[in-house]
Amino acid sequence: MNERLLKILASVFEIKEVNISLELKKDDIDSWDSLKQMDLVVSLEEGYGIVLEMEEIVKMNSVQSIVDILSIKGILQ
Amino acid sequence: MNTEGLVAVVTGGAGNLGKEIASKLESNGLIVYILDIKKSESERHYQVDLCNEQEVEKAIMSIINKEGKINVLVNNAGVIYSEPLINIMNPSKMRHSYENFTKYVKLNLDTTFIVGSIVAEKMVQKRTKGVIINMSSISAVGNAGQSAYSAAKAGVESLTKTWSKELGVFGIRSVGIAPGFIDTESTSHALNESIILHVKKNTPLKKLGKKENISEAILFAIKNDYLSGTIIKINGGLTI
Repeated sequence: MNERLLKILASVFEIKEVNISLELKKDDIDSWDSLKQMDLVVSLEEGYGIVLEMEEIVKMNSVQSIVDILSIKGILQ
Repeated sequence: MNTEGLVAVVTGGAGNLGKEIASKLESNGLIVYILDIKKSESERHYQVDLCNEQEVEKAIMSIINKEGKINVLVNNAGVIYSEPLINIMNPSKMRHSYENFTKYVKLNLDTTFIVGSIVAEKMVQKRTKGVIINMSSISAVGNAGQSAYSAAKAGVESLTKTWSKELGVFGIRSVGIAPGFIDTESTSHALNESIILHVKKNTPLKKLGKKENISEAILFAIKNDYLSGTIIKINGGLTI
Protein backbone atom coordinates (compact mmCIF):
# COMPACT_ATOMS: atom_id res chain seq x y z
CA MET A 1 0.00 0.00 0.00
CA ASN A 2 1.07 3.60 -0.63
CA GLU A 3 3.39 4.66 2.18
CA ARG A 4 1.94 8.15 2.54
CA LEU A 5 -1.58 6.73 2.82
CA LEU A 6 -0.41 4.24 5.45
CA LYS A 7 1.06 7.09 7.52
CA ILE A 8 -2.13 9.16 7.18
CA LEU A 9 -4.38 6.28 8.24
CA ALA A 10 -2.11 5.33 11.15
CA SER A 11 -2.02 8.91 12.36
CA VAL A 12 -5.77 9.57 11.99
CA PHE A 13 -6.94 6.32 13.60
CA GLU A 14 -4.05 6.06 16.07
CA ILE A 15 -3.20 2.51 15.02
CA LYS A 16 0.09 0.89 13.93
CA GLU A 17 0.85 0.83 10.19
CA VAL A 18 1.44 -2.92 10.43
CA ASN A 19 -2.21 -3.38 11.43
CA ILE A 20 -3.56 -1.59 8.36
CA SER A 21 -4.69 -3.64 5.37
CA LEU A 22 -7.01 -3.16 2.41
CA GLU A 23 -9.57 -5.43 4.11
CA LEU A 24 -9.89 -3.14 7.12
CA LYS A 25 -13.41 -1.66 7.39
CA LYS A 26 -14.92 1.19 9.41
CA ASP A 27 -16.52 -1.28 11.83
CA ASP A 28 -13.12 -2.87 12.52
CA ILE A 29 -11.71 0.38 13.91
CA ASP A 30 -13.41 1.53 17.12
CA SER A 31 -12.16 5.10 16.79
CA TRP A 32 -13.55 5.51 13.23
CA ASP A 33 -16.58 7.68 13.91
CA SER A 34 -17.91 10.82 12.22
CA LEU A 35 -15.35 13.01 14.01
CA LYS A 36 -12.50 10.81 12.78
CA GLN A 37 -14.03 10.91 9.30
CA MET A 38 -13.53 14.70 9.33
CA ASP A 39 -9.89 14.20 10.42
CA LEU A 40 -9.47 11.65 7.65
CA VAL A 41 -10.92 13.97 4.98
CA VAL A 42 -8.73 16.92 6.02
CA SER A 43 -5.62 14.71 6.28
CA LEU A 44 -6.17 13.22 2.80
CA GLU A 45 -6.94 16.64 1.26
CA GLU A 46 -3.85 18.24 2.82
CA GLY A 47 -1.66 15.16 2.28
CA TYR A 48 -2.43 14.86 -1.42
CA GLY A 49 -3.47 18.44 -2.29
CA ILE A 50 -6.96 17.34 -3.39
CA VAL A 51 -10.58 18.22 -2.63
CA LEU A 52 -12.94 15.35 -1.84
CA GLU A 53 -16.57 15.58 -2.91
CA MET A 54 -19.41 14.78 -0.52
CA GLU A 55 -20.32 11.59 -2.42
CA GLU A 56 -16.71 10.41 -2.12
CA ILE A 57 -16.55 11.21 1.62
CA VAL A 58 -19.68 9.14 2.28
CA LYS A 59 -18.27 6.18 0.34
CA MET A 60 -15.07 6.09 2.42
CA ASN A 61 -15.96 3.29 4.82
CA SER A 62 -13.00 0.94 4.36
CA VAL A 63 -9.32 1.17 3.46
CA GLN A 64 -10.13 -0.38 0.08
CA SER A 65 -12.77 2.29 -0.64
CA ILE A 66 -10.27 5.05 0.21
CA VAL A 67 -7.72 3.50 -2.14
CA ASP A 68 -10.38 3.22 -4.86
CA ILE A 69 -11.38 6.89 -4.53
CA LEU A 70 -7.75 8.07 -4.55
CA SER A 71 -7.09 5.86 -7.58
CA ILE A 72 -10.06 7.34 -9.49
CA LYS A 73 -8.68 10.80 -8.72
CA GLY A 74 -5.35 9.71 -10.21
CA ILE A 75 -3.50 9.93 -6.90
CA LEU A 76 -2.71 6.24 -6.55
CA GLN A 77 -1.76 3.87 -9.36
CA MET B 1 -20.61 20.42 59.54
CA ASN B 2 -21.95 17.46 61.54
CA THR B 3 -23.95 15.32 59.14
CA GLU B 4 -26.04 13.42 61.70
CA GLY B 5 -29.76 14.10 61.15
CA LEU B 6 -29.33 16.35 58.12
CA VAL B 7 -32.02 15.93 55.48
CA ALA B 8 -30.76 15.35 51.94
CA VAL B 9 -32.42 15.08 48.55
CA VAL B 10 -30.57 13.13 45.85
CA THR B 11 -31.90 13.39 42.30
CA GLY B 12 -31.29 10.43 40.04
CA GLY B 13 -30.91 8.40 43.22
CA ALA B 14 -32.32 5.26 41.61
CA GLY B 15 -29.38 5.05 39.17
CA ASN B 16 -26.03 3.39 39.63
CA LEU B 17 -24.07 6.41 40.90
CA GLY B 18 -27.12 7.88 42.64
CA LYS B 19 -27.56 4.73 44.75
CA GLU B 20 -23.92 4.94 45.83
CA ILE B 21 -24.32 8.61 46.80
CA ALA B 22 -27.53 7.93 48.75
CA SER B 23 -25.93 4.98 50.53
CA LYS B 24 -22.81 7.00 51.47
CA LEU B 25 -24.93 9.82 52.90
CA GLU B 26 -27.20 7.44 54.83
CA SER B 27 -24.20 5.67 56.35
CA ASN B 28 -23.05 9.07 57.61
CA GLY B 29 -26.31 9.76 59.41
CA LEU B 30 -28.18 11.79 56.82
CA ILE B 31 -31.88 11.20 56.11
CA VAL B 32 -31.94 10.73 52.33
CA TYR B 33 -34.85 11.25 49.95
CA ILE B 34 -34.61 10.23 46.31
CA LEU B 35 -36.21 12.04 43.39
CA ASP B 36 -36.07 10.02 40.20
CA ILE B 37 -38.31 9.22 37.26
CA LYS B 38 -37.18 5.60 37.69
CA LYS B 39 -38.44 3.32 40.44
CA SER B 40 -36.21 2.42 43.36
CA GLU B 41 -36.35 0.17 46.40
CA SER B 42 -35.91 3.08 48.79
CA GLU B 43 -38.82 3.87 51.13
CA ARG B 44 -38.02 7.58 50.80
CA HIS B 45 -38.48 7.74 47.06
CA TYR B 46 -40.56 10.11 44.94
CA GLN B 47 -41.06 9.01 41.36
CA VAL B 48 -41.17 12.34 39.55
CA ASP B 49 -40.29 13.83 36.18
CA LEU B 50 -37.54 16.28 37.10
CA CYS B 51 -38.38 18.40 34.04
CA ASN B 52 -41.85 19.03 35.50
CA GLU B 53 -41.67 21.95 37.95
CA GLN B 54 -45.08 21.23 39.51
CA GLU B 55 -44.28 17.56 40.18
CA VAL B 56 -40.91 18.46 41.71
CA GLU B 57 -42.41 21.18 43.92
CA LYS B 58 -45.07 18.78 45.18
CA ALA B 59 -42.41 16.21 46.13
CA ILE B 60 -40.19 18.82 47.82
CA MET B 61 -43.18 20.19 49.79
CA SER B 62 -44.00 16.65 50.90
CA ILE B 63 -40.45 16.20 52.23
CA ILE B 64 -40.57 19.60 53.98
CA ASN B 65 -43.91 18.65 55.59
CA LYS B 66 -42.42 15.39 56.89
CA GLU B 67 -38.98 16.58 57.96
CA GLY B 68 -39.42 20.33 58.39
CA LYS B 69 -36.28 21.15 56.37
CA ILE B 70 -33.89 20.19 53.61
CA ASN B 71 -30.19 20.78 54.32
CA VAL B 72 -28.55 19.12 51.33
CA LEU B 73 -29.47 18.79 47.68
CA VAL B 74 -27.41 16.62 45.37
CA ASN B 75 -28.40 17.41 41.78
CA ASN B 76 -27.09 14.14 40.41
CA ALA B 77 -29.66 13.30 37.70
CA GLY B 78 -28.46 13.61 34.13
CA VAL B 79 -28.06 11.77 30.86
CA ILE B 80 -24.82 11.48 28.86
CA TYR B 81 -25.43 12.18 25.18
CA SER B 82 -23.11 12.20 22.18
CA GLU B 83 -23.87 13.57 18.71
CA PRO B 84 -21.40 15.43 16.49
CA LEU B 85 -22.27 18.97 15.41
CA ILE B 86 -21.61 17.91 11.82
CA ASN B 87 -21.90 14.25 10.83
CA ILE B 88 -19.96 14.16 7.59
CA MET B 89 -20.91 10.51 7.06
CA ASN B 90 -24.62 11.29 6.86
CA PRO B 91 -25.11 13.97 4.18
CA SER B 92 -28.92 13.70 4.22
CA LYS B 93 -28.95 14.72 7.90
CA MET B 94 -25.55 16.20 8.53
CA ARG B 95 -26.39 18.74 11.25
CA HIS B 96 -26.84 18.04 14.97
CA SER B 97 -30.57 17.75 15.63
CA TYR B 98 -31.87 20.88 17.37
CA GLU B 99 -34.56 18.73 18.96
CA ASN B 100 -31.88 16.53 20.55
CA PHE B 101 -29.91 19.59 21.62
CA THR B 102 -32.84 21.07 23.52
CA LYS B 103 -33.84 17.64 24.90
CA TYR B 104 -30.44 16.92 26.46
CA VAL B 105 -29.88 20.46 27.69
CA LYS B 106 -33.27 20.13 29.38
CA LEU B 107 -32.40 16.75 30.94
CA ASN B 108 -29.03 17.96 32.26
CA LEU B 109 -29.36 21.72 32.87
CA ASP B 110 -33.08 22.52 33.27
CA THR B 111 -33.51 19.73 35.83
CA THR B 112 -30.63 21.17 37.89
CA PHE B 113 -32.26 24.61 37.78
CA ILE B 114 -35.78 23.34 38.57
CA VAL B 115 -34.84 21.26 41.62
CA GLY B 116 -32.16 23.74 42.76
CA SER B 117 -34.41 26.77 42.65
CA ILE B 118 -37.26 25.02 44.50
CA VAL B 119 -34.99 23.64 47.24
CA ALA B 120 -33.17 27.00 47.57
CA GLU B 121 -36.53 28.75 47.97
CA LYS B 122 -37.51 26.42 50.84
CA MET B 123 -34.06 26.81 52.44
CA VAL B 124 -34.36 30.62 52.33
CA GLN B 125 -37.96 30.62 53.58
CA LYS B 126 -37.08 28.37 56.51
CA ARG B 127 -33.63 29.94 57.06
CA THR B 128 -32.03 26.52 56.69
CA LYS B 129 -28.29 26.60 56.15
CA GLY B 130 -27.06 23.95 53.78
CA VAL B 131 -25.45 23.05 50.51
CA ILE B 132 -26.53 22.47 46.93
CA ILE B 133 -24.18 20.08 45.14
CA ASN B 134 -24.41 19.97 41.36
CA MET B 135 -22.93 17.18 39.26
CA SER B 136 -20.93 18.59 36.39
CA SER B 137 -18.61 16.62 34.13
CA ILE B 138 -15.17 16.67 32.56
CA SER B 139 -17.14 17.56 29.37
CA ALA B 140 -18.00 21.00 30.79
CA VAL B 141 -14.76 22.35 29.30
CA GLY B 142 -15.97 21.23 25.85
CA ASN B 143 -15.84 17.73 24.42
CA ALA B 144 -15.88 16.98 20.69
CA GLY B 145 -19.08 15.17 19.74
CA GLN B 146 -21.02 16.33 22.80
CA SER B 147 -22.42 19.80 22.01
CA ALA B 148 -25.58 19.41 24.09
CA TYR B 149 -24.03 17.58 27.04
CA SER B 150 -20.97 19.86 27.21
CA ALA B 151 -23.06 23.03 26.97
CA ALA B 152 -25.44 21.76 29.65
CA LYS B 153 -22.63 20.84 32.04
CA ALA B 154 -20.90 24.22 31.48
CA GLY B 155 -24.26 25.74 32.38
CA VAL B 156 -24.41 23.60 35.53
CA GLU B 157 -20.98 24.92 36.59
CA SER B 158 -22.14 28.47 35.96
CA LEU B 159 -25.30 27.93 38.05
CA THR B 160 -23.09 26.56 40.86
CA LYS B 161 -20.96 29.72 40.93
CA THR B 162 -23.97 32.04 40.54
CA TRP B 163 -25.87 30.37 43.40
CA SER B 164 -22.83 30.45 45.70
CA LYS B 165 -22.66 34.24 45.21
CA GLU B 166 -26.41 34.77 45.48
CA LEU B 167 -27.23 32.42 48.37
CA GLY B 168 -24.07 32.73 50.46
CA VAL B 169 -25.65 35.47 52.56
CA PHE B 170 -28.22 32.91 53.79
CA GLY B 171 -25.50 30.40 54.69
CA ILE B 172 -26.34 28.29 51.66
CA ARG B 173 -23.32 26.96 49.81
CA SER B 174 -23.11 25.63 46.28
CA VAL B 175 -20.45 23.20 45.07
CA GLY B 176 -19.90 21.43 41.75
CA ILE B 177 -18.47 17.96 41.32
CA ALA B 178 -16.91 17.26 37.90
CA PRO B 179 -16.13 13.57 37.50
CA GLY B 180 -13.84 12.34 34.77
CA PHE B 181 -14.30 8.79 33.58
CA ILE B 182 -15.86 6.69 36.32
CA ASP B 183 -16.35 2.94 36.14
CA THR B 184 -20.15 2.90 35.89
CA GLU B 185 -22.74 1.34 33.61
CA SER B 186 -23.37 4.67 31.88
CA THR B 187 -19.66 5.00 31.01
CA SER B 188 -19.54 1.51 29.52
CA HIS B 189 -22.73 2.25 27.57
CA ALA B 190 -21.40 5.58 26.28
CA LEU B 191 -17.86 4.45 25.40
CA ASN B 192 -16.52 1.38 23.67
CA GLU B 193 -13.65 -0.68 25.08
CA SER B 194 -10.89 0.85 22.96
CA ILE B 195 -11.88 4.39 23.99
CA ILE B 196 -11.87 3.31 27.64
CA LEU B 197 -8.35 1.89 27.14
CA HIS B 198 -7.33 5.18 25.47
CA VAL B 199 -8.72 7.14 28.45
CA LYS B 200 -6.83 4.96 30.94
CA LYS B 201 -3.61 5.38 28.94
CA ASN B 202 -3.95 9.16 28.96
CA THR B 203 -4.93 9.46 32.63
CA PRO B 204 -1.91 10.03 34.89
CA LEU B 205 -3.34 7.54 37.42
CA LYS B 206 -3.84 4.98 34.57
CA LYS B 207 -7.30 3.85 35.68
CA LEU B 208 -10.97 4.83 35.74
CA GLY B 209 -12.41 6.34 38.90
CA LYS B 210 -14.67 4.46 41.28
CA LYS B 211 -18.17 5.50 42.33
CA GLU B 212 -16.86 5.84 45.90
CA ASN B 213 -14.42 8.54 44.73
CA ILE B 214 -17.45 10.64 43.82
CA SER B 215 -19.59 9.90 46.88
CA GLU B 216 -16.63 10.67 49.18
CA ALA B 217 -16.16 14.05 47.47
CA ILE B 218 -19.86 14.80 47.98
CA LEU B 219 -19.58 13.94 51.66
CA PHE B 220 -16.52 16.20 51.91
CA ALA B 221 -18.47 19.05 50.24
CA ILE B 222 -21.27 18.61 52.79
CA LYS B 223 -18.93 18.54 55.79
CA ASN B 224 -16.65 21.43 54.81
CA ASP B 225 -18.71 24.53 55.56
CA TYR B 226 -16.19 26.96 54.04
CA LEU B 227 -16.34 25.32 50.61
CA SER B 228 -18.51 27.18 48.11
CA GLY B 229 -18.57 28.32 44.49
CA THR B 230 -15.96 25.83 43.42
CA ILE B 231 -15.90 22.84 41.10
CA ILE B 232 -14.13 19.77 42.47
CA LYS B 233 -12.55 17.85 39.60
CA ILE B 234 -12.21 14.10 40.15
CA ASN B 235 -10.54 12.74 37.05
CA GLY B 236 -7.25 11.07 37.99
CA GLY B 237 -5.34 14.05 36.59
CA LEU B 238 -6.74 13.68 33.05
CA THR B 239 -7.19 17.44 32.53
CA ILE B 240 -3.74 18.50 33.76
